[in-house]
Amino acid sequence: MNALPNPLARRAVRQDGALAAPVLGGDELAGRLAKRYGDRITGAFVQPAREGRFAPLPGDMPPALAQALRSRGIEQLYDHQAQAWNATAAGKHVVIATPTASGKSLCYTLPVISAAIRQRAKALFLFPTKALAQDQVAELLELNQAGGLGVKAFTFDGDTPGDARQAIRLHGDIVVSNPDMLHQAILPHHTKWAQFFENLRYVVIDEVHTYRGVFGSHVANVLRRLQRVCAFYGVSPQFILCSATIGNPAEHASALIEQPVTAITESGAPVGEKHVLLWNPPVVNPDLGLRASARSQSNRIARTAIRAGLKTLVFAQSRLMVEVLTKYLKDVFDSDPRKPPRIRAYRGGYLPTERRAAEREMRAGQVDGIVSTSALELGVDIGALDVVVLNGYPGSVAATWQRFGRAGRRQQASLGVLVASSDPLDQYLVRHPEFFQGAPPEHARIAPDQPLILLDHIRCAAFELPFRDGELYGPQDATPWLQVLAEEGVLHQEGERFEWIADSYPANAVSLRSVADGNFVVVDRTEGRQTIVAEVDFSAASLTLYEGAIHMIQSVPYQVEKLDWTGRKAYVTRTQVDYYTDAIDYTKLKVLEAFDGSPAGRGSAHHGEVHVARRVAGYKKIRYYTHENIGYGPVNLPDLELHTTAVWWQLPQRALEQAFDHRQEALDGFLAAAHALHIVATVAVMAEARDLQKAVGSGDGAWFATPDANGRAQLRAGFGEDEAVLQGPFVPTLYLYDAFPGGVGLSAPLYERREDLVRLARELVHRCDCHAGCPACVGPVLAADEQQERSLKSLATRVLDLIVAL
Amino acid sequence: MSTLADKLRGLRRQAGVSVPAASEPVSAPARRSEPLPDNLRALLGVRRHTRVAPPKVATAAVDLPGGTIAPGLQLCEATVAWPPAPPLFHAQFAKLDAWIDPERLVLFDTETTGLAGGTGTRAFMIGVGDWHEGRFRERQLLITTLAGESAMLDCFASWLKPDSVLVSYNGKSYDAPLLKTRFRLQRRASPLDGLMHIDLLHPVRRRWRGAWENCRLATAERQLLQVVREDDLPGSEAPAAWLGFLRGGSAAPLHRVAHHNSQDLRSLGGILHQFASPQDDLHPAD
Repeated sequence: MNALPNPLARRAVRQDGALAAPVLGGDELAGRLAKRYGDRITGAFVQPAREGRFAPLPGDMPPALAQALRSRGIEQLYDHQAQAWNATAAGKHVVIATPTASGKSLCYTLPVISAAIRQRAKALFLFPTKALAQDQVAELLELNQAGGLGVKAFTFDGDTPGDARQAIRLHGDIVVSNPDMLHQAILPHHTKWAQFFENLRYVVIDEVHTYRGVFGSHVANVLRRLQRVCAFYGVSPQFILCSATIGNPAEHASALIEQPVTAITESGAPVGEKHVLLWNPPVVNPDLGLRASARSQSNRIARTAIRAGLKTLVFAQSRLMVEVLTKYLKDVFDSDPRKPPRIRAYRGGYLPTERRAAEREMRAGQVDGIVSTSALELGVDIGALDVVVLNGYPGSVAATWQRFGRAGRRQQASLGVLVASSDPLDQYLVRHPEFFQGAPPEHARIAPDQPLILLDHIRCAAFELPFRDGELYGPQDATPWLQVLAEEGVLHQEGERFEWIADSYPANAVSLRSVADGNFVVVDRTEGRQTIVAEVDFSAASLTLYEGAIHMIQSVPYQVEKLDWTGRKAYVTRTQVDYYTDAIDYTKLKVLEAFDGSPAGRGSAHHGEVHVARRVAGYKKIRYYTHENIGYGPVNLPDLELHTTAVWWQLPQRALEQAFDHRQEALDGFLAAAHALHIVATVAVMAEARDLQKAVGSGDGAWFATPDANGRAQLRAGFGEDEAVLQGPFVPTLYLYDAFPGGVGLSAPLYERREDLVRLARELVHRCDCHAGCPACVGPVLAADEQQERSLKSLATRVLDLIVAL
Repeated sequence: MSTLADKLRGLRRQAGVSVPAASEPVSAPARRSEPLPDNLRALLGVRRHTRVAPPKVATAAVDLPGGTIAPGLQLCEATVAWPPAPPLFHAQFAKLDAWIDPERLVLFDTETTGLAGGTGTRAFMIGVGDWHEGRFRERQLLITTLAGESAMLDCFASWLKPDSVLVSYNGKSYDAPLLKTRFRLQRRASPLDGLMHIDLLHPVRRRWRGAWENCRLATAERQLLQVVREDDLPGSEAPAAWLGFLRGGSAAPLHRVAHHNSQDLRSLGGILHQFASPQDDLHPAD
């Protein structure tokens, strides 16, 4: 084995020079980085240190519990923990939305254990991951042991062995599970849990901000079913919810459980000074607008921090990236195999024993640098860290703060650095430091009455308990849905009651993460394997899984060799090609009904129901970095049809004629503006990229615009024809639509914030560093555009100026 | 078919779910046209039109098994000579350390709406066998409406005493938990709790697993009792037979279900006798 360090690593270390001399804290490092790399830092701010605000242990807490706390070093509570105690004692539903590492778990652990001691009351905990659930149970058991409290806590999930399940049902005081298990295993067998439900007093749900969008809509329905089953057993449990910081914690929590919720948002935990840097990699090719990789920057920052003596955690977006970054750092720091490793990788895929060992070493301070996926974002205690580096934006401001929250010591300042990748969303966020400083810009949204989701859950609810004619499910009368299910043959109506009679188990056919189950499964066939590596929504399948497509899974490129459309399977193999593929999609929208509309600048904005027809006409092969189009390929897949909701903007012909010389320019501007608006809207409603799509066309479906090989708009009337001849008034419309049949609740909140969205889109385009346009603002520009007035950027600006509120 | 159903079918097709063609009209009481909630109507763009309910399928006069003892509940009762009652026996073959008086025995077997498990499965027939005045008495409860379930459960409960010993085939894993669930859903205490239960599947497996191709009741009755059924309705078809009747179809298959259940009870008695008194000759009289 080569005992000498990697020569490249040695050179890198030499380059760091004085930058890596030992420091006292994150603030000093922040200062040094700002001095040397000021041109890469798009935002820098400081969160001042905060003193703790304390409250004594409540007098009405059982003495044994108070004693157990004291024996673990807890002599008093933080202010917000005491507030949570009082609110739950008053019988209220509570959501605790304080930052990471503020001791949220005591807010629910204390009331739950008290009730268990005093009344043998039971509690159900729902966590999003098994790892978190196991950690929670471990904590409960430690507290239990410290005070001899006699409280029994168990995890109940897919791994729980069969013979243990009955014991847990009968004897568990606190059952720790997850929404999928509740949906598929607990509720449909609720009679086996009769004793548990009869004594159920609390339901604790952690990380509720992750229950948004499609997943959140499903979970809200699972909670409806839970409350329905509880009512059957004569109980009405109290909900204690925890959320990361989002803009609407009380509203979101209340929407999830359909009850009023008291929000506790101010943390009383003491916090050290926190420095934050937003870092954009430097441009290395100005003509193409290419930047250095985020990886190269994260590597340099982490190396500097570790050499300066600061404990550092790097978050990577994929397992592959964890391996890559770990290797770079190990080359520098772990070149001597005789010494214990200073750098550790951490991934969800590791065995629980390996993870426990890693966590122990981290807590003991034996590890100087950790590289991890999001697995370490939540909960697990790994001791104090000085620096957190995010290699890529994690998808929401809330998640960014959760990750930053991993760093922090009382006595010295910590540092969080967000390194942006070239992804348009990353570029957008890194240029808006105000999103990270002021009020959280993100609002979590759910649509629990989405028709397909609602149907699936009423079906499951009917399996659990019969329905009476006119009975409410959530806020509405379930009868029309029950009739649909009776027609389907799974329910039988007799007099007033609808009862389940089919020989099937509906919960097994409902995935909480998709809308109806048409999903495609991606099977890796490299080297004779047959492993499922990903799942793709039905509506995205024709865009990304056509034969010949290059499909990225966890940043690893695969090529689709065969697509079995009716079998819903795509077969892929690993590939090394130097190009990526981009589907040429024709999307035609037609407005079916406008629910609402208002003036918007010189045009108007609306929201309502639309019909979407989409054909993938073929695909382009595009070389990496240069964006050259090196070829085309055919695609022969069924058209997609959607009835869904959308928000849209229109400009009247007169306004366009005044602002543009040619229709072509107006259309180019619309396409470019749509690109910018889409980025901005995705962030505003915390949507996944796939949930919201954009399109430009005429309001009546007569024509649509699609980018040609040069990124310019091409007008088409139908899917097969070429350029259309326009008759009648020219009223181009810019749409943002929900990508699921029936909609998924994004259009209404987007419509409410329409003026903000246009303003933000305008700013996005205006402040972009690129010359004439780029994927981070108006879309890829494939041919260099000489004339400034006709650049996509300027055209987009003109359109946005016309629809911005006056 | 309602317009909501059409809309949902359309949406499901758009979501990539393969939707089977609509099944034939179910006979249902005439529906009043229910107005859709406003938000649903807006979202789905439902155009208003009234639908006429499908005409009710004409049902012939129903000839049900047994007699009606409560609304929606039939009872068939019969006594036969075979299987004969076992003598007083020790239940060690069933890993129970007790002497059992045959008067305490309650043999039972249910016919259900399927094997999916969970709260959506119910028993539509409970067959009970016991030895009464020297003969084998079969009593079968059958519900003809969903509303008859609570009467059926109450009647079954009335046949059980605190010292009753239950006898079943796979009943510990299947029939007993299922009945327990049904009692729970009907908000009644389960009379099965605390009763001794001899599940003959386990002793049969212990003795003959590996010797026979499987340990199903049909195999055990053939091997041990030389019972061969003719024209028997397979157990797997029982759910469909009852559902068909419930939806307005013929009652004829119900007789076949009752016959099948009855044979199950007799075989259960015969197998129990084999264990309780192995030296006896158990050829059925018929």
